[in-house]
Amino acid sequence: MSISLKHLTKHYGSTNAVEDVSAEIVHGSLTAVLGPSGSGKSTLLKLISGLERPDQGSVVIDGEDVTDVDPRHRDIGFCFQHYAPFRHMNVTKNVGFGLKVRKRSPKEIDARVKELLALVKLEHKAKHYPAQLSGGERQRMALARALAIEPRVLLLDEPFGALDAVVRAELRHWVKELHQQIHVTTVLVTHDQQEAMEVADQLIVMRSGRVVQSGDPLALYERPATDFVHEFLGPSTTFAGEVARPHDLELVSVYQGTMKGRITSIVSLGFEAQVTVELSDGTSTWVQLSRNELASMGLRVALLVGVRRRDDVEF
Amino acid sequence: MGRRHWPLRGVVLLYLGVLVGLPVVFLVLKALGHGFPAFWSEITKPDALSALKLSIEVAAIAVPINTVVGVGAALLVARHNFFGKRVLDTIFDVPVAISPVIIGVALVLAYSRIGWFGAPLTRWGIMVLFSPLGVVLATMTVSLPYVLRSIVPVLLELGVDQEQAARTLGAGRVRIFWYVTLPAIRWAVLYGVTLTLARTLGEFGAVLVVSGNITGVTQTLPIYIFDSWDQRFDVLGSYSGALVLAMMSMAVLAVLALLRRRERRLRVDLA
Repeated sequence: MSISLKHLTKHYGSTNAVEDVSAEIVHGSLTAVLGPSGSGKSTLLKLISGLERPDQGSVVIDGEDVTDVDPRHRDIGFCFQHYAPFRHMNVTKNVGFGLKVRKRSPKEIDARVKELLALVKLEHKAKHYPAQLSGGERQRMALARALAIEPRVLLLDEPFGALDAVVRAELRHWVKELHQQIHVTTVLVTHDQQEAMEVADQLIVMRSGRVVQSGDPLALYERPATDFVHEFLGPSTTFAGEVARPHDLELVSVYQGTMKGRITSIVSLGFEAQVTVELSDGTSTWVQLSRNELASMGLRVALLVGVRRRDDVEF
Repeated sequence: MGRRHWPLRGVVLLYLGVLVGLPVVFLVLKALGHGFPAFWSEITKPDALSALKLSIEVAAIAVPINTVVGVGAALLVARHNFFGKRVLDTIFDVPVAISPVIIGVALVLAYSRIGWFGAPLTRWGIMVLFSPLGVVLATMTVSLPYVLRSIVPVLLELGVDQEQAARTLGAGRVRIFWYVTLPAIRWAVLYGVTLTLARTLGEFGAVLVVSGNITGVTQTLPIYIFDSWDQRFDVLGSYSGALVLAMMSMAVLAVLALLRRRERRLRVDLA
């Protein structure tokens, strides 16, 4: 189901506001809304779900204007940042809640819950209470609960935010797989660019309540519309007065470089190295090199070098 | 802990002993001093029984009503913003902040034959003062805030996430309350109910003023105890009634202690 957001505006106080946001979310896509904290991305999600009402603008799901529809009738699966498990219900009851409210027969609920628990690999925890689950398990339970109602749209608010690094990476991978399996239009909110780039097939970058740029992740990475997007989507530095990716720069001999400078530090991170250079114009930049490049060039601190963009090389 | 704190512990125990222990011990000794049969015949006297019955009836009416009102008001205060919210919140505390006697006097002013509410009610034949109705009203007033005060902090700590999740899953207000909110606050509600009950059973000042102290009609157990002592010089009757009331209150306290332990365990579970 496609979602279109038309001139959505929502104010409360000064932060977390949403300012005239318009976006198209393609049917079956996995879209990440990416932005720093306070950029309004979570508010945008609440507007789509109906848990918040916009001051202006409209939300259209699959051609139907749902702006005035109560969230309980929107058929939206919402996963909260802290999962919002019903603490007094076990996993089975949690997952079956939406179906019970919809007055499905106990037999049908039972079958559907079993199916979903298999999908999220929680069959062995069916009778456990949320307090007895790990963070990742709670997250999967919340997903199963949201999916139980066969939502038209799945909304995930900072889905991996509260998990440790290992579980995070695992779950990220798993969510992507799950999405390929069930193909429900999914919007997730995150402040982590790596997470967004890895999981999503569409990006919406937000800042101060506005959409800065949206589109294919690789296109945004390669052709950021603003310095903000450039800096937010990946490592960046400045070179010759412009924002540049450190891996797009290279070190050459003093005479070949667009600019020259002196190496002030070399940090080796194993598979890559970060070389900081103080340029002749007084600014400082850093260049990302592979381990092999570093080894073959015989670099050391205080050496004079030339710096240029890799794509500036002429054959 | 251990041996090092024995002086402090000694002082605290002595203090508690003088304030609470000794009087209770004396009460038990005096009430049962003439043997259990004497005690039994005292508390089964018609006036004593009718006082006990009225106390229980008043609690049976006042506690449920204050529970429903308290839960409703707590939801209003914790989940909604509206004009006058802080005033409402403060008004709930007035009954415990001021002396019960003042509440009694205020009720008399309002419900006497020439009072604002009293005049029309009298015309319809409803007597509030000097009737069991007045006793219920006074008791409800003094035990008003306990349920609200027990629930609001729990509701605030709970947050709205679970309720919002239920809403996106298709639940309406009524179902969200029964399936999600109430189970989450049930221990706090029970705690508030117990406090309300304890206060209801023990109320003296406000009830004395509005009831007119009519033996067998508007006499609750605390007033019967006072009346036996002060007016009828029936010392044994007074002691016996007091022991019954004390045992009822202690039963309530025991339930409260159990609830507290349960709540603590629950909190540890959820942490």
